[in-house]
Amino acid sequence: MLQFVWSSWAGLAALCLLAAVWQAGYEAYGSFILTSPLDTLREIGLLAADPDAWTVALTTLQRALTGFVLVALAGTVLGVAAGYSPATLRITRPLVTVLLGVPPIAWIVLAMIWFGGSDATVRTVILVAALPVVFVGAAQGIVTRDRGLDRMAQSFGAGPVRRFLTVGLRQMTTTLFPALTLALGTAFKVAVMAELLANAGGIGGALADARINLDIAQALAWVVISVTLLIIVEYALVQPVKGEVERWRRAERPWGIKR
Amino acid sequence: MSVLGLRSVGHAYLGRTVLDGIELTVGRGEIVALVGPSGCGKSTLAHIAAGLIQPRAGRVETAYGRHAMIFQDPCLLPWATATDNIAYVLRLSHISRKERARRVAEVADRVALEAEDLNKYPVELSGGMKQRVAIARALAVRPDFVIFDEPFTALDVALRRRMQDLVIDTCAARQVSGLFITHDLSEAARIADRIAVLDVRGRGILGDRPLPHAPGTRDEAAVFDWVQTALREDPLFRHIHDVDERLIA
Repeated sequence: MLQFVWSSWAGLAALCLLAAVWQAGYEAYGSFILTSPLDTLREIGLLAADPDAWTVALTTLQRALTGFVLVALAGTVLGVAAGYSPATLRITRPLVTVLLGVPPIAWIVLAMIWFGGSDATVRTVILVAALPVVFVGAAQGIVTRDRGLDRMAQSFGAGPVRRFLTVGLRQMTTTLFPALTLALGTAFKVAVMAELLANAGGIGGALADARINLDIAQALAWVVISVTLLIIVEYALVQPVKGEVERWRRAERPWGIKR
Repeated sequence: MSVLGLRSVGHAYLGRTVLDGIELTVGRGEIVALVGPSGCGKSTLAHIAAGLIQPRAGRVETAYGRHAMIFQDPCLLPWATATDNIAYVLRLSHISRKERARRVAEVADRVALEAEDLNKYPVELSGGMKQRVAIARALAVRPDFVIFDEPFTALDVALRRRMQDLVIDTCAARQVSGLFITHDLSEAARIADRIAVLDVRGRGILGDRPLPHAPGTRDEAAVFDWVQTALREDPLFRHIHDVDERLIA
């Protein structure tokens, strides 16, 4: 815990650096091109006082999170299946390449035609955009697992299911967690993009409005809000689980030793 | 009376025969060391004996209650502490939490693991300590048969001797039988009651030699002499140090 608080200083320093560059940009180009960080903060304050703005933000949050949960479940299940079956993995590898190659925008168009401007559109696009990453993360974790541990568990009488639950799943987290972090970021980005293009409300819709009104301060405020939401979710949801699961890695690098 | 019997066991990997016509028995309370040059299929035989590999031919007869295996690599779960690693195999046998704690304490004491070490993760333990945990884990299930698959190869000489003594004491104290796979004849001569030699190409057991006195009661000079004499005069051990790297795939 102390370690966590302490390491947040580095994050704070990075944010201040970003704000400084932002301020420099504002001073060079003026507030019509780039609103100053302080004005943006003021705008966020105004939005925070507005219950409608909360609804807008929560809509996006809800869509991104449900999309993320969907993609995490589907990607993990498919990835595990492929990891244990080399033939499936060989067949799905090219498919993953194809899926990664199709631009998310194409999926947005398709999903708009299928579902209109609803939650389902956003979720579908998140699913398609982030599925390959989670799939590869899960499959890679199973493929690169330490077979010696499997053999050990088997020699002590663990059946295939027990081996998967106690040894395979745990080893998979090494590659799965980075993939999930990436997928969560993708979920937020894609949600906002899909909302903007599909005119489906949420932060994306608010951004579209800001563009029409040429309201830079509000546009930037919404960008900051969506990034903040992502950071909150990541540190409230993914990092604690990761920290618990990977506690043994910290034992390898004792606190206070610089690498 | 035998507790483990391998009857004309044979195995092949991708069409290449690695073991053929293996006949081997281990009696109750007996430790049999199986020696042979690298790549002759010793490990495969250990895995067959442990039921991890189904042999392509022949059958494995067992008459013991429960076996445990100690691998060349300690094979500890990196995300679990030493305690949890030992308790893991007990959980696999559905042993209650209270009993698990009791048994962990018991075996930790036996292999001289201290409370401080028990709370460490494998990355924090030295090679010898890891192998100690692996031995403790094997003992925790109270096996009456232990399969050792070159367990001490990765350890330095002094550590290896301590581990060997640990094995000798434990097996003698609990009347455990065992199959000890090794390529080191002096290790075999310290630990085993009988040494069996596997053919260079895995084509059967060439023969076996009993060792005088019980393991643990032999003095070092006698063991050394026995090994030297065996290597010099016994035709059975003539090819024990032959290695053909091309055969080791």
